[in-house]
Amino acid sequence: MNAFSIRTTWGIGVLALICLSLIPAHEQTATSRIVAAANTFLSTLNDKQRQTVLFAFNDEEQRKRWSNLPVSFVPRGGISLKEMNTTQRAAAMALVASALSARGFEKVQQIMEGDEVNKNTDQGPPGNRGPRPPAGAGGPPPSGNGGPPPSGRGGNRPPAWNGPIFGKDLYYISILGKPSEKDPWMLQFGGHHLALNVTIAGEQGVLTPTLTGAQPALYTIDGKTVRPLGQESDKALALLNALDENQRKQAILSYRLADLVLGPGQDGKTIQPEGLKASDMNERQRAMLLDVISEWANIIHESAAAARMAEMKAGLNDTWFAWSGPTTATPGHNIAAYYRVQGPNLVIEYAPQKLGGDPAMHVHTMYRDPTNDYGRKFTAK
Amino acid sequence: MKTKLTAAAAIFLALGVSGFAHRLDEYLQATLFSLGENRVGAVMRLVPGVAVFPGVFATIDTNGDGILSEAEQQAYAERVLGDVSLSVDGKRLRPRLVSVNFPTTEAMKEGLGEIQINFMADLPAGDPNRKLVFENHHQTPISAYLVNCLVPRNRDIRVVAQNRNSNQSFYELDYVQADGRSGPLSLVKSWSGVRAALGSSVGFASIFRLGIRHIAEGTDHLLFLLALLLPAPLLASRSQWVGFEDVHHSLLRILKVVTAFTIGHSITLALAALGVVRVPSRPIEVLIAVSILVSAVHALHPLFPGREAAIAAFFGLIHGLAFATTLGQLGLGRWERVTGILAFNLGIETMQLFVVAATMPSLVLLSRTRAYSVLRIGGALFAGFASVGWIVERLLEAHSSVDLVVDRVAHQAIWIAVALFLMSLVCWFRRNVLAKQARGFA
Repeated sequence: MNAFSIRTTWGIGVLALICLSLIPAHEQTATSRIVAAANTFLSTLNDKQRQTVLFAFNDEEQRKRWSNLPVSFVPRGGISLKEMNTTQRAAAMALVASALSARGFEKVQQIMEGDEVNKNTDQGPPGNRGPRPPAGAGGPPPSGNGGPPPSGRGGNRPPAWNGPIFGKDLYYISILGKPSEKDPWMLQFGGHHLALNVTIAGEQGVLTPTLTGAQPALYTIDGKTVRPLGQESDKALALLNALDENQRKQAILSYRLADLVLGPGQDGKTIQPEGLKASDMNERQRAMLLDVISEWANIIHESAAAARMAEMKAGLNDTWFAWSGPTTATPGHNIAAYYRVQGPNLVIEYAPQKLGGDPAMHVHTMYRDPTNDYGRKFTAK
Repeated sequence: MKTKLTAAAAIFLALGVSGFAHRLDEYLQATLFSLGENRVGAVMRLVPGVAVFPGVFATIDTNGDGILSEAEQQAYAERVLGDVSLSVDGKRLRPRLVSVNFPTTEAMKEGLGEIQINFMADLPAGDPNRKLVFENHHQTPISAYLVNCLVPRNRDIRVVAQNRNSNQSFYELDYVQADGRSGPLSLVKSWSGVRAALGSSVGFASIFRLGIRHIAEGTDHLLFLLALLLPAPLLASRSQWVGFEDVHHSLLRILKVVTAFTIGHSITLALAALGVVRVPSRPIEVLIAVSILVSAVHALHPLFPGREAAIAAFFGLIHGLAFATTLGQLGLGRWERVTGILAFNLGIETMQLFVVAATMPSLVLLSRTRAYSVLRIGGALFAGFASVGWIVERLLEAHSSVDLVVDRVAHQAIWIAVALFLMSLVCWFRRNVLAKQARGFA
């Protein structure tokens, strides 16, 4: 009798424990999923790797160490997929996936895959393609246009020409702060044509500033045609075509835009908006504009994306659409035009790059919230 | 597609660069303006592309030693500033170099290096409606320009329009500066109560405020009025100012002059703002300067004694046309324009009354003393000097330092008014005490 009751007590106790552990699993939020994925990833790393990945939350230098350029030119902080084993790489990608929506993650993979295409088509053996920097030229690596001058842990890599430039394993992951469901922290993932800056603060998730790019903007893999930034191009062109003559006159700028205005290094700046204001659009056109924005706003995981889209909707009337360049595109190809969507909490720039080739094949895009870059609204103390 | 890529790759190989490099055959020059209350700042980011780098480098490395010395960097920045032109309201500004930052030569060689030049320029005082023009002629054949303006942090500054030519080497920025500077402005700010009372409609309040500001900062209008008021308390005898009127008559004379000026400029303001009359603004500006000269001379030697009110009304007609230009630049609709005229005129009147209220007691008191002739002649000479400067400047579209000097003085307007009042009290007491003493001795 005595023995039975002890066993019963034990049984009930264990059952209760299982139930308790199940309850949080049921109530798991996006943030707790990302935190769990981050902790799993960190647990696969050795101490030295972990030290390379982790930065202080207030490390402004690392926060701003991102660029459109290949990693050999602007070294990133953190650790690259190339330096990881299979388990670590899988855990890293699972972490990135946990912070993004399914479509967002797919976009990221397509951008990385595009860089692999780059590596296989556009490049001779490394070291063969031009003058090396003079020996002993150990000054600070390139700065400016490619982002703020990298230094610290990333700064010892040679500025350029040494080492591979393209490839889907040349993407770096870093974590600022301690992954937490309560306190703010940050996940960065990027390389050539990609800079994801995800700030997590409680249940808030902020993706700004984020850079996406594609070169080639169209490629075939396993017989399938891929356009990593195809929707960004097609939806904007559809909106332009839905405008009437008068609206087009306002939306289409009379001048050429050679590049991003608010590229890397231009955090927190709000330029005077131009073009056609959404308050001068009809319901259908406004919905189309919101759909263009969703291509960036929906990169982050669903609940953060929903909050962001609500914010975009609220500010829609004060959102501007401006276009510069060709107003047509070859069907199935990206536009060769620049466009900008700017609202009270938003700057999106889509900038084809003129590099002697077809500008429609090489795109840089920028996604910002000048009022909340790096989620400062939520992390400010 | 493949052939295209191969072709592109071939070009890159020929140039010794791979396909990712940011800039190739262009010299990207991005300028970003920031508007302040009385200065404009800009950051220029210059990125030479790989193919144009050697040429650009050679122009910076003037001694050809392959190293960009501090002096060469500085000299290059100054050269860039020499190749740009910046003007506000047609007045050429001189950009001052604030800082210059160079990337490494290696970075530039790869088309990744960004030269950063910060410059700044002081803005002359002027209309609330301003036009900034920036032209960049640096290395035109190889350059791709970008020009933008940050949304002004100061909420009183609002960008109205931006215009560029197709390659952005020419940039025109129209903006309204609705509030403003030091000096008279602190006075204006204290009128916020009045503004709030009137401000059921934002448009009305802001146009009213514009009217206040137009007088507070439109030093030419003020100078005209003050110069005309200088001899108002005095009696003229032939070609001399002699003696003084009694207080009652002095006040009446001042009131008449101010009212006549108001009636005059209200008529033309309404006519011009409603589009009944249309006059080009430059001759008007010249005539306004002439009106100051006339009233300055009148303060020295009576030209039209006793008829100040008529003269004030006549020149008021001219000043009103200038007010209309300001109002016209707001681009108001027909109905808005009617209320706009009312608001603007009320603003002008308010500020005018304020100026008169601030100076009249001093004028009346001082006019009873000998010191008055010093003030009258000094004031008249100052107004005369300023008006001649303005006439020359506005006729020849030349740049002179008149605005600078007058603005300096206007910025101290409150202190000058206070000092004037204290001085008038001292002089008046001295005169009275001396008179009493004299009587005592007698």
